[in-house]
Amino acid sequence: MNAEAPIEVHNVSLAYRLSHNRAGTLKEFAVNLVKGQVQYEKLIALKDVSFTVGRGEVFSIIGPNGAGKSTMMKMVARVLPPTSGRVIVRGSVAPMIELGAGFNPELTGYENIVLYGTLLGRDPAVMRERANAIAVWAELTDFLDVPIRSYSSGMLARLGFAVATDVQPEILLVDEVLAVGDESFQRTSKLRMEEMIAQGTSVVFVSHDLATVEQIATRTLWLDKGVTKMIGEPSDVIAAYKASV
Amino acid sequence: MHTVSANYYDSDQARRPLISEFSNLWGYRGLLKLLVTRDLTVRYKRSTLGMWWTLLNPLLSMSVLWIVFGQFFRFEIPGLPYVVYLLSGIVLLTFFGQAVVAAGSSIVNSSSVLSKVYVPPEVFAFSAALAAAANFVISLVPLLVIQIVVGVGIPWTVVLVPIPLLATLALVAGLGLLVASAAVFFFDVLDLTGVFIQLLTYLTPTFYPVSIVPQEFLWLIYANPLYSYLTVFRGFVYEGAFAPWWTFVVMIGTSIAVLLIGVWVFSRSWRNLVVLL
Repeated sequence: MNAEAPIEVHNVSLAYRLSHNRAGTLKEFAVNLVKGQVQYEKLIALKDVSFTVGRGEVFSIIGPNGAGKSTMMKMVARVLPPTSGRVIVRGSVAPMIELGAGFNPELTGYENIVLYGTLLGRDPAVMRERANAIAVWAELTDFLDVPIRSYSSGMLARLGFAVATDVQPEILLVDEVLAVGDESFQRTSKLRMEEMIAQGTSVVFVSHDLATVEQIATRTLWLDKGVTKMIGEPSDVIAAYKASV
Repeated sequence: MHTVSANYYDSDQARRPLISEFSNLWGYRGLLKLLVTRDLTVRYKRSTLGMWWTLLNPLLSMSVLWIVFGQFFRFEIPGLPYVVYLLSGIVLLTFFGQAVVAAGSSIVNSSSVLSKVYVPPEVFAFSAALAAAANFVISLVPLLVIQIVVGVGIPWTVVLVPIPLLATLALVAGLGLLVASAAVFFFDVLDLTGVFIQLLTYLTPTFYPVSIVPQEFLWLIYANPLYSYLTVFRGFVYEGAFAPWWTFVVMIGTSIAVLLIGVWVFSRSWRNLVVLL
């Protein structure tokens, strides 16, 4: 066990129960209960997954849809508690699982910067001071007083990315978010990520873009139906993955 | 040995005892304040009447109920203008109903945040209850104005109104968390809650005097905890008197018990709820 690793995932599983006939309403549930027809289906999203991410490492997760990649990210992001096993995360985390998940369309750009930053665990007073600098980076200075329901998706992505990366995190979680936005945004955001990696930020990212994975990842985990298929050198894992599809 | 902080997460330490549940909340008070103001500003921005709606809404209900029960049924409260009795009941019961529904729907409504960013989920339920409490405080203004206009005046005990206010806040937060847990599993729970609150409102002497309740049904009134909350509140806001001691016992006892049960049940069931969001 590495005591200094930013992320340790030990034998993690996630299972949950779904009611079989997906009752949905309490009335139906009560009726089914009386009839004795309540059945549960046990779904296993992840099974016995282990890995460690060291400082400055770029760890990628690949696999087909429904493999549990996003679920794994949410566990590291502290959103989903594991059913069994253990997750340890040391350091500040910038989760970019869905940029701007806390945005409110009725509020202005400025108000949303403060709200989203606070949801990410920062002090509202600090966010108020930082709002202008964030808007400059996101190239949204002229739109700061406009409710963000009138923003384009590219503008929202820029704003979300700018808030999430305003302070350099020790751990960055990226879930395909950088696929949105125009080319110039993709370029600047990639540049910013590379800067952070160079300064020692650890990254966990999920991607279907195998070329990028091979280019920037230092290690790769291949998940399939919640089970670890392979873990190791990106080129080896990608070759095996490609051969299987 | 590591201490639990925002920058250290160990899933094995996630099942925290109740006391740290509250200290965790204190750490997020900045977010709590922000969510309450967001709740209020979004609501006021959306409606053309803005904040006036909070003042007009109880007055509108009061006017209709005053015509029906004050004029048609001719309900009378000895030594007190009926409007004051009526409006004081309406503002407290509106607070109760709004807060339970708002806190109950807060988790489902915030699912896009809660399924992507780590935030103590209770913060959303508490902020919804606090926003309803802020509306309650605003709606006290027309009540106090009417008390002056009809000659009842404002007794000194009005400074003690925060006591029933805090008790109601704890009650609605606890109930809201229970409703919120159930609402993740079954989407009709919120509608049923609305119906249940309506029925409970009829069983609380909001618009009728307790004196018209037949002897054999009085237990039904006294068994309803909301009766105690309302009696304490009315004592402070216009009577200038302390309600009977047992109503304080019921009020404080139920508020603390319901809050603790709500927080406990919610935090215990959270791991089963979050996967469904």
